[in-house]
Amino acid sequence: MNIFPEAVSTYAHEMDKLFWLITLFAGLGFFITIGILIYALIRFRYSPQRKPMTFRGNTFREFRWVALGMALLAFADFYVLYDEHDTWDKMMQTVPEEKDLHIAITGRQWNWIFTYPGPDGKLYTADDVIINEPNSTIHVPIHKNVVFDIRSVDVIHSVFLKEARFKYDAIPGRTITKWVQFHRPGKYEIICAELCGVLHSKMRNFIMVESEEVFQQWLDELYAGTNE
Amino acid sequence: MATHTQSFWTKYIFSQDHKVIGAQYLIVGLIMAAVAGFFAYVFRYHLAYPDAEIPLWGTLDPRTYNMLVTTHGALMIFWVAMPILVAAIGNYLIPTMLGTDDMAFPFLNMLSFWVFFLSAVVVVASLFVPGGGFDGGWTLYPPLSVDAYLNTNPDFWKALFSGGSLVILALALEFASMLMGGINFMVTTINKRARGMSFSRMPILVWFMNFSVVTFMFSVGPVIAGALMLLLDRVAGTGFYDAYRGGDPILFQHLFWFFGHPEVYVLLFPTLGVIGEIIPTFSRKPLFGYKFIIWASIVAIVLSMVVWAHHQFVAGINPYMAVFFSVGTILISIPFAGIILSYVATIFGGNIRLELPMWWAVGFLATFLIGGLTGLYLGSNTFDIYAHDTSFVVAHFHYTLFPITFFGFFAAFYYWFPKFTGRMYNDFLGKLHFWGTFIFFQLFALPIFFLGLNGQPRRMSDYTAFETLMQDWHIQFREIATISAILLILTQFIWLYNFIVSLWKGKRVSSDNPWQANTLEWQAPSPPPHGNFEVYPEVYRDPYTFGVVQVNGKQKDFIPQNEKLPS
Amino acid sequence: MQSTTVSLRRVPQGRLAMWLLIAGELIIFGSAIVVYLLLRLRYPEWGAEAAKTHLSLGAFNTLVLLVSSYFAAKAHEASLKKLKDQVLRYLSLTVLCGLIFMGVKSYEYAEKITHGYTFTSPKLVEAGQGAAALFWSFYYFLTGLHALHVLVGLIAIGFIMYYVKNNKHFHRVELVALYWHMVDLIWIFLFPLLYIMQ
Repeated sequence: MNIFPEAVSTYAHEMDKLFWLITLFAGLGFFITIGILIYALIRFRYSPQRKPMTFRGNTFREFRWVALGMALLAFADFYVLYDEHDTWDKMMQTVPEEKDLHIAITGRQWNWIFTYPGPDGKLYTADDVIINEPNSTIHVPIHKNVVFDIRSVDVIHSVFLKEARFKYDAIPGRTITKWVQFHRPGKYEIICAELCGVLHSKMRNFIMVESEEVFQQWLDELYAGTNE
Repeated sequence: MATHTQSFWTKYIFSQDHKVIGAQYLIVGLIMAAVAGFFAYVFRYHLAYPDAEIPLWGTLDPRTYNMLVTTHGALMIFWVAMPILVAAIGNYLIPTMLGTDDMAFPFLNMLSFWVFFLSAVVVVASLFVPGGGFDGGWTLYPPLSVDAYLNTNPDFWKALFSGGSLVILALALEFASMLMGGINFMVTTINKRARGMSFSRMPILVWFMNFSVVTFMFSVGPVIAGALMLLLDRVAGTGFYDAYRGGDPILFQHLFWFFGHPEVYVLLFPTLGVIGEIIPTFSRKPLFGYKFIIWASIVAIVLSMVVWAHHQFVAGINPYMAVFFSVGTILISIPFAGIILSYVATIFGGNIRLELPMWWAVGFLATFLIGGLTGLYLGSNTFDIYAHDTSFVVAHFHYTLFPITFFGFFAAFYYWFPKFTGRMYNDFLGKLHFWGTFIFFQLFALPIFFLGLNGQPRRMSDYTAFETLMQDWHIQFREIATISAILLILTQFIWLYNFIVSLWKGKRVSSDNPWQANTLEWQAPSPPPHGNFEVYPEVYRDPYTFGVVQVNGKQKDFIPQNEKLPS
Repeated sequence: MQSTTVSLRRVPQGRLAMWLLIAGELIIFGSAIVVYLLLRLRYPEWGAEAAKTHLSLGAFNTLVLLVSSYFAAKAHEASLKKLKDQVLRYLSLTVLCGLIFMGVKSYEYAEKITHGYTFTSPKLVEAGQGAAALFWSFYYFLTGLHALHVLVGLIAIGFIMYYVKNNKHFHRVELVALYWHMVDLIWIFLFPLLYIMQ
């Protein structure tokens, strides 16, 4: 068993590394605290002869150990924030100039609607091709910047590509533009991660990551209306 | 002391005695916990065995599944944790710890319970109206929770008597009740302390109770306004959250989480108070950092008002704002770490009597620690993009809210049981109950972390549609979680048995102060009569004077707050 | 009461509770107003809708409420001296002002509704002016919530008048006056936001 699903996007590995960094800090915090707690419970267990200490932690001398614990946590917190910043910047704050493929993905109860740019290569023009059926599979090229316009027509949905560590809400009235670049071919599930009604758990589509040539072929068939 | 005669009705039903009102809150809370626990059993069973017939229930369709999950969440937060932790514990302990006879406004206190009772009736009724109970998630996110979006003219009465509207109404009543109760708590604390009980001599639990209601009061306004708008969207056809009419669904999320995140602290504070009373008593050692804990809590309350949007990192909020909220979220961990470490420091160097309440206190610290530390993963905005809306979040908040609600309640229950009933519980059954709860809880929640990390989304009625979520180990982990959850629920019957038998047949306590604690409630008779004290106490010192001292030539290791020492 | 004989301090607890209640109310209204302002910034077209409200009637109502607050303050002053007749007279004047306010408000509502500006304004929605319809939803939501508080205040004053008539609970005049000032204060915020800001 692997903790994470296979990492297939450019930032997936960075996110996994971030997980292990946080786990290191959280694990240290957990074992140190629990260690002290268990040690204290055993070392200071009841005995009629024992004279308990009486410090109240009101002077800095007594308080320094707790202060140290807080300082360590603060360090861990800010180190995590510092460490993740590049990944965050890459994922959220910049959409690549070079949009190799620009698709609109629209949530509805209960499947995803995909809009591909028509032969003119531009989205939101008259020749757009719309794929709107449950369980349909869309294709995208590998090693290319795929930009999604995420939207919804009814309630809130959430696009979740777990292998790509990609998840954004689809909110009626808004367009959220995010990108992903796959670096491993395969067929992955598109899951809806936000409760969207009765058949939420059946809202499923697929994304097929494949080489540029195979993708072009699929796209041509799509334009010709000959593929399934 | 009130000596007037009381009929059955004024003594037990429409009572204005804070202890009876506390018991009423407790009973309603426990009944709701039983309902919500049963729902948890049903949907957990369904998750582990999607096709099987569920014993005591039957088959489960996705709509009912969503309804059960929604109701479980709403009930556990608003009709179990709130009444038990804030209302019941506060009602029992604030007047007794302050050394007074009752709340500042006994009539208002009774009124707030009955408003709460009405809210409980309404929320239960919402499950039986035509069209079924509400199934849009306990967070009530519109547009899903509006149903009738784009409908400018809904049938008012039909929309009003539908599951969702009734849940919103019940929430409004519940908030009104808790606001009344909160005002009562604060006025009582400011106005009705015993002579000599300055603020700096108040038991930490009274401080925490007031922090709890202050946090509630300052955060609940937005969600009341937001819920009213949501109700109007449903019954009157307005478009406050309808994107097609200029409204904004995200608006509700902001209003909800502005309240929703502080709400966790509203629930956490009473439990921290309970633990903060139990640990010094059983460690025979003064509470570590009394003043620090108070200041840390105030800092945490202020911070809690600016962290709400960490629930919306994936909801398309401005990425720069997200960094701000991430910093806030991560900062708020520091005061709470300080408080938890102060409790550990209180234990350190004591003379520890591992009685049952102390087990629960230590169990709380250990379990809550995991809940707090896993918050780091979710507070990190980057990792939250992946972990948001997966079972990781479910495991995380069960690791915080379960210890807060149940470890906190049971710690308080066993600690104050001898005081408020005059009888002792069965210690062996109590230990059995503790270990059962402790172990089965970990076995229930730990697997869910791993399922979540592997990308299992929450709130799904089954995962059969997704091949990658149906690997063998996924199925096994779900089974482990489900079986442990069932055993966890069954373990509570030990407690129920212990509770009922001890209530009637338990050994009478020989002393009014069996744990040799210092706070004032232990100076009252057990159980305290109407009016609590025979002689109203006067306070001479802080509540944590432990450690061996010479009093009148005799060695003592504690001095109650109201004991006057010869000078 | 029993309690005050054992407690440390004697802050009038009714006043304390009323201040806390007012704080809670102000947070509820405050957040509703903040939401309104945020959307107001998003939709400049709301200015045109706000121009359709009846400015002079709104101004008149503001004046009425201010005067009523003055009477409530006078009633409080009289209650300190336990001047029963004066208290009753001033409270009746306060109620009268409250009723005038409600009457004018009802007239405004009736007028707006006959022009098609209702809670949901289906006409505007059909015309594709959803955001404009939202302004009217807010208009009715905010003023309606406020009117509800006026109504509660009027009922409360009624109770207090009954007590005072029986020479009881003079100190509660102060509480109801505090509440009434709060209702007045909220309107002073609502009036410019809904009527003037065009």
